[in-house]
Amino acid sequence: MKKLDRLGWAAGLTFESFGARVGLRVNDARLLDALADYLPPGWKRSTSSVVERLYSVYAPPPSRRRGLSGFHILYGDHVRLARSKEAEQVFEVLESELQRHVAETARRGLFVHAGAVGWRGRAVLLPGRSFSGKSTLVTELLRAGATYYSDEYAVIDGRGRVHPFSRPIGMREGAGKRRVTIESLNGAAGDGPLPVGMVVVSEYKEGARWRPREISSGRGVLELLAHTVSARRDPANALSTLERVATRARVLKGARGEARETAVSILEALEL
Amino acid sequence: MASYQKENGDGARASGARPRARAEGLVAREVADETLVYDLESHRAVCLNKTAALVWRSCDGRKTAKGIARTLGEELGEAVPEEVVWLALDQLGRDGLLETRVARPEALAGLSRRELIRRVSLAAAIVALPLVTSIVAPTPAQAASCVPTGGACTLSAECCPNNVCVGNVCVGGP
Repeated sequence: MKKLDRLGWAAGLTFESFGARVGLRVNDARLLDALADYLPPGWKRSTSSVVERLYSVYAPPPSRRRGLSGFHILYGDHVRLARSKEAEQVFEVLESELQRHVAETARRGLFVHAGAVGWRGRAVLLPGRSFSGKSTLVTELLRAGATYYSDEYAVIDGRGRVHPFSRPIGMREGAGKRRVTIESLNGAAGDGPLPVGMVVVSEYKEGARWRPREISSGRGVLELLAHTVSARRDPANALSTLERVATRARVLKGARGEARETAVSILEALEL
Repeated sequence: MASYQKENGDGARASGARPRARAEGLVAREVADETLVYDLESHRAVCLNKTAALVWRSCDGRKTAKGIARTLGEELGEAVPEEVVWLALDQLGRDGLLETRVARPEALAGLSRRELIRRVSLAAAIVALPLVTSIVAPTPAQAASCVPTGGACTLSAECCPNNVCVGNVCVGGP
């Protein structure tokens, strides 16, 4: 038994999300309530004690929390992932790690690093790497009346439909992120799967106007595959699922300027 | 094995190389009139347009480039210049979809892709040029959300792989 396992773990939880099974243990039972907000969307408690990955969150005892060595620590299995005096920072790393693990190992749904919104019965996907402006564009689409599916991962089922993976939108501010709730945007979260109507491949470029060109279905698959978390683990499944999306949706590619103007243009294009 | 012979009146030698498409270690899927191919070894994913896909499927190890052009012509109902086939073979070879890359014949050896395309258009060919687009599939870490080098951070766990958070900035590791 490793040293970490011999620490006093006071409470734990096993849950499933999209078929991935994860364990979480804490050294202070009160932490579990606080961590509920950081669990991945759609999580369900499991009775199994067998998990694929175990996360451990250690909080310093109250007597030491004001001291120099009062660190909160996060472990993934037996590897230290994060350490900080600020609990919130460690919790946010846990949140990212949980989502990443689910995205990598999900048995139900293909996870594409993309924003996703719903508009009049169809979904718009916004694949893109970090810092490409996905969250900003998703926020403006919500302000324009779209429903929120995700600003992080589009979860696509075998029929090519997008499922909600809703969490507070993470807007970058300096070195950190600000959590923006859908309610604060007067927005609504989607609650059921939607077929994809459009895939928008774009990155912010100052001064640009969104004048995309439509690309072929095959190249649309490549654009989505470039952001698919499990592409290497199961490429056949990835190609099959993405084909269902790209052959039924318009795939538009081009640089964009300000998010507000682009959001309106996207929704107008979806009506064509 | 390649063999060379004199075939046309201007003295140019046409290559007798007989390219063969790779079959092992690939996952292929047709999408409309394109073909997607995923290389399980290199994790490169390739999209072949109709012309490139026809060339690839014609690479049976028995046909020369001239023979492939003839096959394409029959399939498309248009005369297909051999240069079109060589454009495709260059790209297919570069992306690892042939068992071995084939060298162009001497008459075409020194031409750039642009010059080759120009020759195709001068031949008044109306067949679509072969187009091969490729990406390398991301690792899970690459596909996930992370702060790239130079971005603001609070913890190293937020930084992309091979980066650490130093002074609230993600910097490349050793």
